[in-house]
Amino acid sequence: MRILVVFLAAVIAGCATGVPAPSQVLVPAPDQVPGPGPEFGPPLGPGPGPESAPLPAPPAHTENLAIAGLLIGARTDAAAGRLVNAAASLERALRIEPRNPRLWQELARVRLKQGDYAQAESTAARSNSWAGSDNALRADNWRIIAHARNARGDAEGAKGALEAAERQR
Amino acid sequence: MFDRAKFWRYTRYAVLTVALLAAGFTLYLDIRVRSEFEGRRFALPARIYARPLELHAGLRIAQIDVVRELQEAGYTQGPREGEPGWFANDNDWLEVAVRPFVFWDGMQPAKRVRVAFDSGAVKAVQDAEGRELPLVRLEPLAIGGIYPANNEDRVLVRLSEVPKQMVQALIANEDRNFYAHHGFDLRGIARAAFSFFTGHGLQGGSTLTQQLVKNFFLTPERTISRKVTELFMSVLLEIHYDKEEILETYLNEIYLGQDRDRAIHGVGLASLFYFGKTVEHLTLAESALLVGMVKGPALYDPFRNPQRALERRNVVLRETKDRGFATMEEYSKARAADLGVNQKAAMGTSPHPAFLDLVHRQLRRDYDEADLRSEGLRVFTTLAPRVQTAAERALERKIAQFDKGKIFGEPGLEGAVVVTDTQSGEVQALVGGRDVRFRGFNRALDAGRPVGSLLKPAIYLTALADPAHYTLVTPIDDGPFVWKSRGAPDWEPTNYDKIFHGAVPLRMALAHSYNAATARLGTDIGVEKVLTTIKRLGIEREMQPYASTLLGAVDLSPLEVAQMYQTIASGGFRTPLRAIREVTTQDGRPLKRYALAVEQAFPPEPMYLITAAMQGVVREGTAQSLRNWLPPEIAVAGKTGTTTEQRDAWFAGFSGDRLGIVWIGYDDNRAARLSGAGAALPVWGEMMRALDPEPLALPKPDGIENVLIDPASGLRADFACADAVELPFAQGSAPAERAPCASAVGAAVEQIRQQAKSWMERLFGK
Repeated sequence: MRILVVFLAAVIAGCATGVPAPSQVLVPAPDQVPGPGPEFGPPLGPGPGPESAPLPAPPAHTENLAIAGLLIGARTDAAAGRLVNAAASLERALRIEPRNPRLWQELARVRLKQGDYAQAESTAARSNSWAGSDNALRADNWRIIAHARNARGDAEGAKGALEAAERQR
Repeated sequence: MFDRAKFWRYTRYAVLTVALLAAGFTLYLDIRVRSEFEGRRFALPARIYARPLELHAGLRIAQIDVVRELQEAGYTQGPREGEPGWFANDNDWLEVAVRPFVFWDGMQPAKRVRVAFDSGAVKAVQDAEGRELPLVRLEPLAIGGIYPANNEDRVLVRLSEVPKQMVQALIANEDRNFYAHHGFDLRGIARAAFSFFTGHGLQGGSTLTQQLVKNFFLTPERTISRKVTELFMSVLLEIHYDKEEILETYLNEIYLGQDRDRAIHGVGLASLFYFGKTVEHLTLAESALLVGMVKGPALYDPFRNPQRALERRNVVLRETKDRGFATMEEYSKARAADLGVNQKAAMGTSPHPAFLDLVHRQLRRDYDEADLRSEGLRVFTTLAPRVQTAAERALERKIAQFDKGKIFGEPGLEGAVVVTDTQSGEVQALVGGRDVRFRGFNRALDAGRPVGSLLKPAIYLTALADPAHYTLVTPIDDGPFVWKSRGAPDWEPTNYDKIFHGAVPLRMALAHSYNAATARLGTDIGVEKVLTTIKRLGIEREMQPYASTLLGAVDLSPLEVAQMYQTIASGGFRTPLRAIREVTTQDGRPLKRYALAVEQAFPPEPMYLITAAMQGVVREGTAQSLRNWLPPEIAVAGKTGTTTEQRDAWFAGFSGDRLGIVWIGYDDNRAARLSGAGAALPVWGEMMRALDPEPLALPKPDGIENVLIDPASGLRADFACADAVELPFAQGSAPAERAPCASAVGAAVEQIRQQAKSWMERLFGK
């Protein structure tokens, strides 16, 4: 039954966007994965208020074991502060699935952690460009953008991004 | 009168002077020996690697392509127990004993993998026990280096890594008293002297220490004084360093052959070069072959003179056995073995010099030239060997075909190719001329050529970014056009077919590359505005704000064109083209990573529209002939370019996964009499066909809707219109008026559809 629902969702997503939907089958991340912990929350520093904090990273959705492995590795590295390695793993994953908006989003989160706010914003925008009808994903991207703008002192822009996030509901 | 006292005084002075001079000379030599030998710092080239092949289930690659890459990396066919560096295969399976490799993010140990293939794709990747492996990274191909003076190449080894029998064979054959002498061997010198005085010239008799001194410190000329210096330095070397240190340096220094312009030094590199394995895995027979080559690497070159090399090897083996370093059994087995050398194409300093040139230039921004040539940096690049090969082959073949017998004289027709990944901006292939192995003028980077119509997409993009005024169906006047500006002659662009076409829909003006229509459109929008677009697309070169710039009276290199089209291919995200991923030190410590960077330069809607229009160029415009190479469902977006008198032929295009730029023309700017579609497009088509491209399917942005249009009127159509086409429009910009062919029923149906759509949207929240 769940497979049917996922299939239908994929078909609908496909119809709505005219683009092959990214892999939708859920591969639950193993328990030991230090995934959406506080490390993935807002980076320390000035600016972002609690309302602009990007949501914690969702579990890895993919049918591709290679991607799942790289994603897990990237999260482990990011949690341990090895941000360069985390970014590198995500780039490796993107070479395999360049149209996977979750990978772009994950990379945007790492950029945020690295304090590279310009890249965080444009990488989240890249994720949006492949997000199709995945509104939750888009909303997350807009929150990342809001966060990045806030960190760069662009409160007005951040507000706009948060509004955009709200509109995805 | 002879003054005895005076004589003795002068003699004493003379002796003292000579002694002082000798002491000074010795001191000088001693300083040299110690200072130069102390660190024993060989200049090591920066080593350049292609991207590693990453195997995972679902990867679209044929087995043959993986095998080819393994062979290029020196892997041999057939299992060899106990050592990596081989593969075995049948129709469906490929088993690889992957060699250990230090990647930028750490050491990957040797491992066995089994790869299953099914209809041109990887079905599964497993380890030796049959467990599923999600992702396996193969060792990347070495594609050249940035070399020190004389193009000396070497891979350093420690004495402990060198097989004992190789050292023994060396001593048995080159310097039997090595462990006993003090740098020189009296018997050897006696033999050399005998040979000299009997008129056989100055030769032989050198100890390993002397040979090392000769190679390390001195020039190769053969004079008595040089011989004396060599002797002095050898003794000094022996005083300061122990035998093991001297031996290790010798093994790393020794010249062992030539690979085109690259000099093979040291047993470490020689093992890889001749046998495709690391030195510790060499057999006695293989070790003996290398030892035999010390006497004359060219004379005993196993590739060119296999018989002579074999005989020499057997002499070395016999001597090794006779000195007691090999048993009779070992000797017979080694003697019976064949040469075992791994014949592969000569590489020289690089098989892909144009790409290496690009890497070198990017490295020079961050590193000192001297460091690049001596520190042994390891550089991991983005070159995709399969793509590079396809680009080289297509260019070579097509140019040979167009320029048969060089009918237009010498020098012949030239060309350049750049291929990048549409999403990451990684440069996968770069060809700088028809002679792809030639290290010289790199047209892909340095040939600034007029780009002609290749700039047109920038004009149309500028227009489409203003949907209130321009859509894909907006009529553009392709009537005669004159541009007057003060201080410049009138500019009257004509069309390629010398015909003016009247009012044409915007998308058709681009598809057929109409010059008059484009010039009118560009000047209506404003040249400055178009130049801003070009800049945002990634062209850094300053351009003159003349109307003629619009039609490509601008010189760009193929790489610059690639940067511009990259931004279009990635949906408006400007991504700097990169040829390097990572750089590490010689021992694998990461130095620098060149991260993927994107910057949104354009909103998605106009990018979607311009891409659709460029797909029209291929579907129904100047690049229609691409269907001879690729099926229509790949939906390539592209643009042809041909300049005045057909001096330059261009094609720029992209599929879902790759962007390719091809230029064809003469270096001296002669009229090539070849058009973009006639010359550059075939190279592109042949290359891409070999690469099995992914279809281009851009995600439709929110602000875009598809509307049925009647091509005849350019108005809204419905099912009643036979020739209707579905075209994308920025939300609300499509023509409201219904075409004459549309039916009344159609209007009603359309209304119901709209209602159903909004109902669905409410239901699914979108």
